[in-house]
Amino acid sequence: MKFTHQLAALALAGTAILSTASFAQEQVNLTWQMWGDEKDTPLFQSLADLVTAEYPNIKVTPQFSGWTDYWTRLPVLASSGQIADLVAMQSMRMPSFYGVLEPLDPFIAADNFDKSAFESSIISGLSQDGVQYALPYDVGPWLMFYNRDKFAEAGIAEPKPDWTFDDFKAAAEKLTSGDNYGYAVQAFDFVAQPIALGAEYFNDGNQFDLTNPGYAAAVGKLVDLVAVAKASPVFASGAGAQTGSGRFAAGNAAMVIDGPWSLLTTQASVGFKVGVAPLPRDEGPSRYITAGSGWGISAASQHKDEAFKALKVLTGPKAAEILASAGRALPGRLAEQKFWYDVAAKDIAGARETLQYSFDHSTPFRLNESWNEFENLLTQYLPLALNGDNTTDAVLADIQSQLP
Amino acid sequence: MTLIQDTAVATSAPAARPRRRSGRREGRTAFFFLLPSLLGVLLFLVLPIIASLALSFTNWKLLGKPAFVGFQNYIRLFTADPQFWTVLRNTLFFTVEYLVLNIIISVGLATWIASLKRGQRWFRVVFFLPTFTPGIAVAIVWMLIFAPGGFFDFIMKSLSLGVPNLLTDQTLAMQAVIIVSLWANVGYNTVLFNAALDMVPPSYLEAAKIDGASAWDRFWKIRLPLISPTLFFGTVMTAITSLQVFDQIYVMTRGGPGNATATLGYAIYQRGFQNFQMGYASSIAWVMFALIMALTALQFWLQRKWVHYDN
Repeated sequence: MKFTHQLAALALAGTAILSTASFAQEQVNLTWQMWGDEKDTPLFQSLADLVTAEYPNIKVTPQFSGWTDYWTRLPVLASSGQIADLVAMQSMRMPSFYGVLEPLDPFIAADNFDKSAFESSIISGLSQDGVQYALPYDVGPWLMFYNRDKFAEAGIAEPKPDWTFDDFKAAAEKLTSGDNYGYAVQAFDFVAQPIALGAEYFNDGNQFDLTNPGYAAAVGKLVDLVAVAKASPVFASGAGAQTGSGRFAAGNAAMVIDGPWSLLTTQASVGFKVGVAPLPRDEGPSRYITAGSGWGISAASQHKDEAFKALKVLTGPKAAEILASAGRALPGRLAEQKFWYDVAAKDIAGARETLQYSFDHSTPFRLNESWNEFENLLTQYLPLALNGDNTTDAVLADIQSQLP
Repeated sequence: MTLIQDTAVATSAPAARPRRRSGRREGRTAFFFLLPSLLGVLLFLVLPIIASLALSFTNWKLLGKPAFVGFQNYIRLFTADPQFWTVLRNTLFFTVEYLVLNIIISVGLATWIASLKRGQRWFRVVFFLPTFTPGIAVAIVWMLIFAPGGFFDFIMKSLSLGVPNLLTDQTLAMQAVIIVSLWANVGYNTVLFNAALDMVPPSYLEAAKIDGASAWDRFWKIRLPLISPTLFFGTVMTAITSLQVFDQIYVMTRGGPGNATATLGYAIYQRGFQNFQMGYASSIAWVMFALIMALTALQFWLQRKWVHYDN
C-alpha cells in the first residue's frame, strides 16, 4: 500500500515536471489593433483573456483608436513597420488594405477550419480575389430604421419585409410636416438603396459606371424624395455635419437607413420605440448588400502561427456569444446569432424577421480599389442634386469623371 | 558680458594670424552649440522637403514600394485632372477675398481701439482671444451654427429672410468658410497693427492737427504710411496662411458642396490621406509651394511702391 502511494507520488511528480516542461514553451505577446473607445476596453479585454485561457503562452493586448483615425493610421503603421499582429478590417475597406494582411487560406487548410459556420456573404466580404484575409466577428445588411411611435401616430401600417419604394415614399411624405421629416437621407443610401432597387454602379469589369440608366434612375428616385417631395432634409458635406442618424435619434426624422451594428445603441439612446424593416424594393425581387468586420493577421507579424491560434479564439463561438449578448455585434457565426436576437435585440420589433429576410436575399457587395474615393465623392457632390442646384445626371457624370 | 569683451580685447590685440585661428575655434564652438537645432532642422524640415520632392516623381500609394514615374504626376495635374483648375481658382478666390477683408477689418479695429480713451487693453484681449483658440474647435462650433436646420437657419427664418443654407449652397459655402476664417484670425492682425499705431509719434499727429489736417487726412497721410512696414508684414503672412487654408474646410464642408470649397490644402489631404495617392499629393504640394513663393515674391516687389521705411 505504502509502496503504491510512493509510486503514485512519483508519477504525479513526473507529470508535474512534464507539464512544466510543456508550459515552458516560449511566451508570445501579440498586439491587436482595432477601432473603438475606452468603454469598449473591458469587453475586448475579456476576449483577449479567452485566448490566454486556451493558450497560456499567448497574451493578446488590444489597442484602440477612433474609427476615422483608425483608417488614417493603418497605412502609416503598416508602411513604418509598426502594425499590430492582429488587425481589424472592415469588408468595405478590404480592397484598399488587403495588402497589409496575410492570406489565411494556408492556415485554414492546415487546421481544417470550418468556414461554413459563418454567414456566407461576410466570408466573401472579408476575402479579396477569392483569398480569405480576415475572419468575421460581425455582419449586417443595411436596414430601414423607423420610429414606431410616429408611424402609430400618423396611422400608417408598419412596413412589411417586402414593402416597395412607393410604400416607402408614401410613408415618408405622410410623416413630413413642418420641421419634421419622414426620412433623413445620408450619402451611403445612394449605395445601399439603388442595389435594393436592382441597380448597379459597376459595369461587368468591376469599374464604376455611374451614368448607366438603371443607377441614375435609382439615384433620381431618392433625389426626388428630397428635392421635389421635400420629405428629407439635405445633408451637408462637412465632417461634423449633422447626420441622418442624428436627426432620427432626435425624433426629427421618422426613417433612416443604418445597420444592425448601431441598432442597439440607437434604441438605448432614444425615447421612442425603434422598428426595423428591409430596404424597400422596386417591382422586382429584393436584394441587399451586407457589410461586416473581422480580424486578420498582419503580413509583417513575427508570430503568425500563434496569431492564427488567437484569431480562432477571438472569432470563436464563445467570443461571438460575448459580443452578441453585449449587443456589440450581430455575430458572423450563424449559430451564435441567437444570442443577439434573444438577448440584446429582444425588444426591437421585427429584428429577427427583417434580418433573416435580408440575409436570405443578400447579394455580394461589389467593391474595387477606388471605393473610398467613390464614397467621399458622393458625400461631396450629392448635396448639389439634393438642393436642386444641379441635375442628378450632371452630378453623377461629374463624380464619374473623377473616378479612374 | 564683460568677460566676452575682455576676450575680444585680448584676442584683437595680437597679430592677425592668431586671431584668425581663434576665430576658427570660436566658429567650431558655435557649431557645436548650434548642432542640436541644426539636426532638428535637417531631420524635420530639410529631409521631409527633399523627400516630398522625390515622392512627387513617384506613384507611391502609402502601401507598397514607390515606382519612379517621371513628370507624370505633374502632367496629369495640369492636363488631365478635371478638378485642378477649379481647386486653384477656389484657392485664389479665398485668398483674395479673405486677405482684403482681413486687412480692412483689422486696420479698422486697430484704429478704433487706438482711439479709445480707456479699455484699450480689454479690447485687445477680446479680439485676440480667437487666435489662441484651436482652429478645429472654432470650425466645429461654426459648423454647428451653419448646419442645415441649425442656429443660423433659425435666425434667418425668424427674420423671414430667404437666405438658403450656407453649407449646402454652391456660392455661399465659400462665404461661410471666409466668415469663420475672419472671426478666427482677424484678432492677430488687429493686435499687430494696433501696436504699430501706438508707435506713431504723437508729435507728428499734433503737428498735422495744428496745420489743419482732418482726422481722415491724418489717417491716410500720416498713420497709414508710418505703419506700412507692419501692414506689409501682416499682408504677407496672412496671404501665406490663406493659401494653405485647410482646417475650416476639412470640418465645415470637406470641399463641398460639389467642389465649391475645394482648395489646394484640402486637395492634398484628399489625394494623400483619403485616396492614398502620396506621389500625386506631393506634386500638388509642390505646386502650392511654387504658388506661395511666386505670390510672396510679387508682394515684395510691389512693396517698393507703398511701404515707407524711416531710413
